[in-house]
Amino acid sequence: MFVLDNGASTLKAGFATDAQPKVIPNCITKAKSETRRRFIGDQLEDCKDMSSLYYILCHEKGYLVNWEVQKQVWDYVFSKDCFNVDFDSTGIIMTEPYFNFCSIQENITEIFFEDYGAQSLSIMNPSSLVAYKYLIDNPKKLCCAVLDSGYSFSHVVPYVKKKRVKDNIRRINIGGKALTNYLKDALSYRQLNVMDETYVVNQVKEDVCYVSLDFHREMEMAALGNSRENTIWRDYVLPDYTSIKRGYVRPPEQTTGKATSAEQIIRMNAERFQTPELLFNPSDIGIEQMGISEAMMHSVNALPKEVQSHMYSNIVLLGGNAMFPNFKERLVQDLRMLIPEFYDINVTCENPINAAWEGGKALARCKEDLDDKAITKQLYEEQGIAYCVDFYNLL
Amino acid sequence: MEQSTKKEKRGDRVVLDEAQRNRRSRKALDALEQDNYHEDPHANLIMNKKAPKFEDSLNTERKDRPGKRKSARDFKQVRFKKSLAALLEEDRALGTESPNYMTAAAPASKFPKRYFCAVCGMYGIYTCVSCGARYCAKNCLDVHQETRCLKWTA
Ligand SMILES: [Zn+2]
Ligand SMILES: [Zn+2]
Repeated sequence: MFVLDNGASTLKAGFATDAQPKVIPNCITKAKSETRRRFIGDQLEDCKDMSSLYYILCHEKGYLVNWEVQKQVWDYVFSKDCFNVDFDSTGIIMTEPYFNFCSIQENITEIFFEDYGAQSLSIMNPSSLVAYKYLIDNPKKLCCAVLDSGYSFSHVVPYVKKKRVKDNIRRINIGGKALTNYLKDALSYRQLNVMDETYVVNQVKEDVCYVSLDFHREMEMAALGNSRENTIWRDYVLPDYTSIKRGYVRPPEQTTGKATSAEQIIRMNAERFQTPELLFNPSDIGIEQMGISEAMMHSVNALPKEVQSHMYSNIVLLGGNAMFPNFKERLVQDLRMLIPEFYDINVTCENPINAAWEGGKALARCKEDLDDKAITKQLYEEQGIAYCVDFYNLL
Repeated sequence: MEQSTKKEKRGDRVVLDEAQRNRRSRKALDALEQDNYHEDPHANLIMNKKAPKFEDSLNTERKDRPGKRKSARDFKQVRFKKSLAALLEEDRALGTESPNYMTAAAPASKFPKRYFCAVCGMYGIYTCVSCGARYCAKNCLDVHQETRCLKWTA
C-alpha cells in the first residue's frame, strides 16, 4: 500500500511499510537564479538560492484546480526518481479536502485507475485517517473531535461512534498561507519589503512565531518597543544565500536591533504572536468568522448532549499550525473559558504534520478495515466512476 | 478623475463610503490568498530560444501501456483548470444538498471585535475619518495618511 496525504502546501507520501513519510512541496517552483529548470516537488532541495521563489501551486483555497501541475508532481513522486511505485501490485490510500467537489473526485478516481493503473483506491478526509488511528490506539473510545489547521483553512471535524458527523464540520477560512502572507505584509509595510520572499518569511514564521497565552499582557509588553523589559522582540537575521544559507533568530542576549554590515535583519515584536493569533481571532483582520476554539464549541454544541463531554476529552490535532508553540495550551485555555467546568478537556497532538499519513499507515495494516474503505480496480471497472464517488462520500 | 466623483467630500476631506471601504477590505483579504506577489521570473525567457520552452517541458508523459483499455472519456477535456468559483457554481447547479462547502463555514464570533493600528499593530483606538482604518496615535495617523490611506486604488 502507498499512502499519500495530498496537502495543498506539502504532500506527505510513503509506502505503508516506511517508518515515516517524505514531506514534499506539492507544487512546481521557479527560482530567479536557475533559469534553465523548474523544480518539481522536493527537487527544490537542489536549489541554492531560495530568494524570490515563484510558486505554481495546484490548489486554490484548499481544492485541487490545476491538474497539469498536480499530475507532474504525482508523476515525479511515483517515478523511480522518488518512490518508484509499481501500481500493478500496489493500491493507494489518499486524502482529499472536506466537502470535496464531485468533478475533482471524478478526476482523481480516473487518474489513479486509468493513468496509473492502481490496484485499489481509498480517498478519505485527513481527519478520518487521524480519527481512525486515534480510536485504534484508544480502543475504549468511540468519539473524538479532530481539529485540522493546515495551509489553506482550518476545520473542526467530529466523529461519533467512529463515524464522521458531516453536519457538524466547521470551516474557518484561515490557514498557514494567509498567516505567512499577513506577516509578509506587516513586515513589508513596517520594515523591509519582503513581499516576494514567501519562502524566507515562512521560515521566519516557523522560527519565531508563537501563540499567546495572555494576549493583552503581551500587547502591553510589545508596546514597550526597544526596551530591555520587552522580552518579546527578537532580531531575525535574513539569509543572503552566499554566506548565510538559512535565516536564524539571534539569542535574546544578543538582541540589539542592529544589523552588522554583512547582514540584513528583521525585528520581530508583536508580529510574533499576532500572526498565529489570527487562527483564534480571524476577525482581527476582518474575516468575520469565529476562531478555532469557538468553532470547536460551536460544532460540539450541535451534537447530542450525551456525546458532548466525550468530544472535549478526545480532541486530536492535525495540520502544520499545531506546530506553533502554545497552540495546544491556548486551545485548552480558550475552551476552559467557553465550556462548562465539569467537562474534561484532553488534547492529543503527536506530530501533527504527519498525523494523517500515520493514520493511513495504520489503516493499511488492517486488511479488514481497509477492504471496507477501498475500491478495487475490478469494482471500479464494473461499477464506474459515479459509484466510486458516492462510496467515498459516505466514508 | 472618475475616482474623485465616487468619493464623498465632507468638509475638505475625502471620505470613502461604506461600499468603497468594504471593497477595500475584501481586496486586502483576497491578497492573503495570493500565491506570488511578483512576476514569474522565467516569464520573458519563453522568447529565448536557448531556454527550454515552458510548454515543452510541461507536457507530461502518459504511460500508455500496451493492451490497456482506453477510457471512453477524454482526459484533457475534463481536466482543464477549473477555479474554485467555477466549482462552486457547478456545485450549485448540481444542487448538492447540505451539508456542503457553503454550509460548513463557521459563523461570526459572538465576542466583540478587536481593533489594531493599521500602522504599528498596537491597539487601534481611533478611526481614520477618510477610510475607516484604525490607528493608535497621531504619529501613526500621519504615516497612514502619507502611505496607505487614500493611495490605494479602491
Ligand atoms: Zn500605531
Ligand atoms: Zn485613512
